[in-house]
Amino acid sequence: MASLLFYALSAIAVLCALGVVISRNPMQSVLNLLGSFVAVAAIYLLAGFQFLAAAQILVYAGAIMVLFIFVVMLLNLTDREESQSVWMGLFNGRILGSLAVFAGLTVSGLIAANGNFAPVDTISHDGNLDNMTLLAEVLFSKYMLPFEAASLLLLATLVGVMLLAKRERNGERHGAQLSSQDGGSEA
Amino acid sequence: MNVPTEHLLILAGILFSLGALGFLLRSNLIVILASVELMLNAANLTFLAGARSHSSVGPLNLDGPIFALFVILVAACEAALGLALVIAFYRQKQSVDIEAAAELKG
Repeated sequence: MASLLFYALSAIAVLCALGVVISRNPMQSVLNLLGSFVAVAAIYLLAGFQFLAAAQILVYAGAIMVLFIFVVMLLNLTDREESQSVWMGLFNGRILGSLAVFAGLTVSGLIAANGNFAPVDTISHDGNLDNMTLLAEVLFSKYMLPFEAASLLLLATLVGVMLLAKRERNGERHGAQLSSQDGGSEA
Repeated sequence: MNVPTEHLLILAGILFSLGALGFLLRSNLIVILASVELMLNAANLTFLAGARSHSSVGPLNLDGPIFALFVILVAACEAALGLALVIAFYRQKQSVDIEAAAELKG
């Protein structure tokens, strides 16, 4: 049953990834990407990595997807859609995306209904593999330095993104803008 | 889930190649960034497959999940920076097509 679910989720993830590549509309690409992330998160859950699945949903399917969709909508890129064939319609993000969400919910429901959050036939030591206490112990002892470096990276990203995305004021130039403002006029 | 590790790795390989394909073939900057995310996701899947197979015998191995966690973090940073660059690019060119960025071609 679990392996059947794995293959179904793999098929969804691969189809969604295909949709990312072949969709003409950026919005459909991004929605397909969301479907792929959710399917992969469900695979994590099946494999017994609960915390990774949660992080995948929160960071990938939550934060990163919101950023992508926000930018696509901000730049108003969802236009010029020619008539699609039936097969292209499969990849417009709606069918596959909702399928992925449904499958993810099914997996978490099955695991929750099992009573324990460790899937039955994963690696069973004294605890399960993705015991969050164990993960935290390793993260805050062996990987303390990378953890701090990661926080520094986040801070640097925060500053860099604000600098890059800041609107240019009159007469005030920032180092990020290299070419002149009328660079787009030449075809 | 009694799926062999090879199948997880095959899935990761397929996802990675699709991401690489999108990265190389598409000219829309947003789709390119999405393809990069797809590739990072496939790399994560590989880490977890490795952790799973290494933990099946011997002591518990948590290096894989921790590395996957860091990859997720770097992916978030990369997406934020990349999309900020896309916005800055769009402000200059009114386009998100990489064909518009041809000044250095000479």
